[in-house]
Amino acid sequence: MLRLNPSAANHAHLLLTLVLLFLSLSLYEPIQLWVLLLVVCAAVMRFSLYMNWQKHQLSVRTLNLMAVLCALVLAYFGWELGLLLGMLNLLVMASSLKMMLLATRRDYFQLIGVQFFLLGAALVFNQNIAFSLLYAGLCLLLLMSLAFHINPSASWLVLSKRVATLCAQALPIAVLMLLVFPKLGPLWQMPTGKGAHTGLTDKVSPGDIAQLARSADLAFRVTFEQEVPPPASRYWRALVMEEFDGNSWQIHPYRQKLMQRHWRTGSPFTPQVSGAAYQYQVIAEPTQQRWLFALDTAVSNEQHLWQNHDYTLQSKIPLQSALAYRVRSYYQSNLPPALEQLDSHLNLQLPERANPKTQKWAKQLWQANPSPQRYINAIAAHMRQQGFSYTLKPQPMPVDPIDTFLFEQKMGFCSHYASATAYLLRLNGIPARLVTGYLGGEMRGERYMSVYQYDAHAWVEWLSDDGWQRLDPTAWVAPLRAEYGLEQAVAHEQSFLADAPLSGLRGIAVFQALRGLLDDMDYFWSRWILGFDRQNQQDLLKVLLGDLSPVKLALFGLGTLATVVLLLALYHIRSWLLIKGDLPNWYYQKALAQLARQGIHRNKGQGPADFCTQVEAQVPPLSAQHFSALTRCYTNLCYRQLSSEQHKQQLRQMRDLLAKLKRSLGQGLLT
Amino acid sequence: MIAGYIQRRMTAWLSKRIPPAQQISLNRGNIFIFPSRFGALYLGLCLALFVLGTNYQNNLILLLGFFLLALMLVSLFASYLNFSGLSLQLGKLSNSYADSPILFPVWLETQDTNKAGKVHFAWYGTKTINTVELDNLTNPISLNSTAVQRGKYSPPRLTLSCYYPLGLFRCWTHIAFNCQVIVYPAPMAKPWPVTTKQCEQQGEQATHQFSMGSGLDEFDTLTEYQPGQPLYHVAWKQAAKGQGLLSKRFATEVQQSGWLVLNCADKELEENLSRLCFSCIELDAKGWVFGLELPGTCISPGKGQAHLQACLTALALFKAN
Repeated sequence: MLRLNPSAANHAHLLLTLVLLFLSLSLYEPIQLWVLLLVVCAAVMRFSLYMNWQKHQLSVRTLNLMAVLCALVLAYFGWELGLLLGMLNLLVMASSLKMMLLATRRDYFQLIGVQFFLLGAALVFNQNIAFSLLYAGLCLLLLMSLAFHINPSASWLVLSKRVATLCAQALPIAVLMLLVFPKLGPLWQMPTGKGAHTGLTDKVSPGDIAQLARSADLAFRVTFEQEVPPPASRYWRALVMEEFDGNSWQIHPYRQKLMQRHWRTGSPFTPQVSGAAYQYQVIAEPTQQRWLFALDTAVSNEQHLWQNHDYTLQSKIPLQSALAYRVRSYYQSNLPPALEQLDSHLNLQLPERANPKTQKWAKQLWQANPSPQRYINAIAAHMRQQGFSYTLKPQPMPVDPIDTFLFEQKMGFCSHYASATAYLLRLNGIPARLVTGYLGGEMRGERYMSVYQYDAHAWVEWLSDDGWQRLDPTAWVAPLRAEYGLEQAVAHEQSFLADAPLSGLRGIAVFQALRGLLDDMDYFWSRWILGFDRQNQQDLLKVLLGDLSPVKLALFGLGTLATVVLLLALYHIRSWLLIKGDLPNWYYQKALAQLARQGIHRNKGQGPADFCTQVEAQVPPLSAQHFSALTRCYTNLCYRQLSSEQHKQQLRQMRDLLAKLKRSLGQGLLT
Repeated sequence: MIAGYIQRRMTAWLSKRIPPAQQISLNRGNIFIFPSRFGALYLGLCLALFVLGTNYQNNLILLLGFFLLALMLVSLFASYLNFSGLSLQLGKLSNSYADSPILFPVWLETQDTNKAGKVHFAWYGTKTINTVELDNLTNPISLNSTAVQRGKYSPPRLTLSCYYPLGLFRCWTHIAFNCQVIVYPAPMAKPWPVTTKQCEQQGEQATHQFSMGSGLDEFDTLTEYQPGQPLYHVAWKQAAKGQGLLSKRFATEVQQSGWLVLNCADKELEENLSRLCFSCIELDAKGWVFGLELPGTCISPGKGQAHLQACLTALALFKAN
C-alpha cells in the first residue's frame, strides 16, 4: 500500500533527518559502512519527500523485508563487533529504517527519543571540544524539530528564539545538578567496544614502538600538585613484559593468570612505600585498553583502578573514554620484588635456541666482568665504542634479531636497545625485564604536562639486591633522548614526525602559539569538564561549606532546591508582572474578591457603577463609601484621559482605598 | 461497572470544579497539566542517560541527561503560561436536525500576542475534531457535534489540549458552555397527508393576504418590494443592477393551505414526527399556509421562517425526554 506523504515541507521531519545523518557521520569509526550507507539512503529519501519530489513513502512490506535483511547482516557481523558496537550499530540501523517509514506522530516521537539516546551514546566515543560542540548543536536541532512539530506554522526565527530561551533557562539548572548531584561509581559493568586499539600494545617486537613514535597524538596529560619531576626522570611506566621468545616481548601468561586470580579474590597489591612523593592527576586519552601510566612506585586509591604486583596500574574497565585518576609516586625508593622467587624465576627464562652469536659474546663479556654492575658498564661501553646509533627508521630484522642488531646493523630504536640489553642480562643469570611506557612530557607553563604518542619508550628493569632498578640503554647512545625528547634525539636524520601532515608547520611561531592555545583549551576541557570527579566535587563542597557534616549537606541540598525554585521564579517573574501590569484592573479585581467573601457577587455584564449602587445597599456605610470612591477611581483610570501625574495619584488612592475597604469589611465581620 | 462509577464521579467533580458558563477563561482553577506520553518516554530517556553516564563515568552524558531534565522542568512553566489566559466564548447557535451535525462556533481570545502552539479541540472522551494554531488563529473555530435524538441538546464538555512548547507536557481542560440547542426530528422523505379541515376562515384570510405573490407557478411581473413579502421572491438580478428591490409576482391566484395533524401519539411516533418535519419544510418551501396539530399542541396556520421554526420546535419538544 502506498501512503501519502507526511513529510512534505515538514520542518520537524527535515531537522530530525539532519540530526540522524550528522550523528551517524560523526560516528564513522564505530559504525559499519553499510549502516552508514543505509542512513544516507534514509536521509535522501526523507529529503526528497520533504521537497515533494517524491510523493509516496515506501510500503511497509518492502521495509519489513529490508529490515529482516539488515538484521541478518548485522547478526552476521555483530559477533565480531562485541556488545557495545553491536548495540550502537543496531540502534543506528533501526532508526534509519524507522526514518524511511516515518509517518505517524508515534514514529516521530520514538525517533526523537532514540536520537537523544544516540547523542548520549556518541559522547561515549567522542568527547573532545569540537565533537561536544557538534553534539550540542545537534541537541538544539532536535529541540527545534520538536518545537516545529508542536507549532508548524511558526517561523525559524521565532522558534529559535523560543528554544534558545528554554535552553538558556535550563542550562544553569543542569550545571547546578551536575555539580551537586552525588557522583556515583559505575552501577554495573558496561560492555566496551573492541574498537581499534591505540597507543602501546601488549606485545612488543623491536620496531613496534618506532611505528608509534611517528604519531603526534596525545597520550595523556598530567597535572602535578606541587613538585614536577625533572625531564630525565619522567619515565611513565605502563606495561611490564617478562616473556621473551627470541624476537618479541609480552606480558607473561603466568603473570596474567596470577593477576586474574588476585582480581577474583579482590586482593590488590599494596606496595611498601617511603620517602617523598609526587602527587598528580593523570587524564588518559581513550585507548580501548586497560593499562594506565604512572611514575616509579605508584599508589592510587581510586575505586576504578587496580594495582598490579609489577607496580603498574590498571583500569578495571577498558578506556572507552578519557579517564582521570590521581596518583602518588614515591620516587626515592626502588621497587622491591613483590613475589621475589616468582619475579626472578620468570625473568630468567630464555628462548631455547636463538641469537647464537649474542649468547657466545655474552659469555665472554661476563667472564671479563663478573658482576652485574660491571657487566652492564661493559655493554654500555661496547655500544658507545662500536658506533651504535639511534634511529626512528630501523631496518627489519626477521631472523635472530638480536644478533642482527648487535653485530650487523648497529642502529635501532629504543625497543632494540632494551630488548638486546635485557636478553644479555638474562643470559648471565641476572633477572631482567622490558618495561614499556612513555619517556618525557612537555610542560605547558607551570600548569600541566602533555605526553604524546611519540614519547613512547621502552627500557629495562633488572633485579639487583635492593630491588628492581631502571636501566635505559637508549641513553648510552642517545643521551639527548631522556633530557630533550625524541625530536632532539633524532635531529640528525630529520625523521621526527616526517610523515605527519603539516609537519613543516611545527617550526613556525604562530602555529606553535595556536597549537599551545588549542592545547590549553583541550586541557581545560579534559581537566574540568571530562575530569570532574568525586574528588573535585568534594573539594568544591569543602570550599563552599567548610567541613562536610550531614546537617550541612542536608542544608546544602535544600539550598540547591531553593536556588532552582528561585531561578524558575526569576524566569517567570515577567509574566506575573504582566498580570500586575494592568494595575487599575488588578486593584479592582482585588476589591471584588473582598466583596465576594462577604457574599456579594458581581453579575456578568453588570457595569461598575451599577454594581456600586448594589454594593452600597448591602454593606455598612463606611465600606460603601470606600468602595464607591474606589469605583470612581477605577472608572477614571479606565475611561478618562489623565496626565501621568494624575494617573499615579489615582493609582495611589486606589491602593489606599483597597486597604481601607479590607479593614472596614473585616470590622464589619467582627461586629 | 467500576469504570462507569468512576466516570460518574469524574463528571460530578468536573461540574463542581468547572461549572458551565457563557465565557470561560483558562486559569489555575481549570487547567490540568501532566507529562504527555512522549514526556514519560523522555523521563525514561533522562534516566537511561544518567545510567549510561554513570556507568561510563562520563560527565558529558550526565550533563546531557541533567540538561534534558532541566528542560522538562522549564517547559512545565512555559506550557502552563502559554495555555492559561486563553478565554473562550460560544458564538450564536442555530437549531439543527437530529443525525445531522450541529455547528458550535467558538471564539477563542488571547490576551497577549505571544501565545503559540497547536490547540486540539475534542468533545469529552472522543477524538480530536479540530486543531488550531494560536499564532495563526482565525475565529470562530467551528466545532461540529451530532445529536442522535430530537429535543433539547446541550453539547458535551469540550476538551482543549495543548502540547506547547516541546510536546513534553499536555495542558488540558474540560470546559462546558451554558447553552442549549433544539434538535428537530430528522426529516424523512415521506410526505404527511395535508388535511383541510376547519381552516376555512383563517385560510381565507390568509388567501386574501397572500393572493398575490405566492405559490410556485408561472412568473408574471415585477412589482416594487413591500416589506413582509418573502425574500425568495426578490429579483436579485435586478437588485444587483441597482434597480432597487423588486418582487417577482407569480400568476397563481389560488393560495394553497392545509393542516398537518397527528392524532395518535403512540404508534411509530418518531417516524411520524420525522415525516411531519419533512412536510413542514416542504410546505414552507412551496409557500403554503399551514397549521400543525399535535395531541395537546396546536399551532395555527401561518407561514414564514418564524412559523416554520415554531412548528419544528413543537415537533422537537413533543414528548421529548
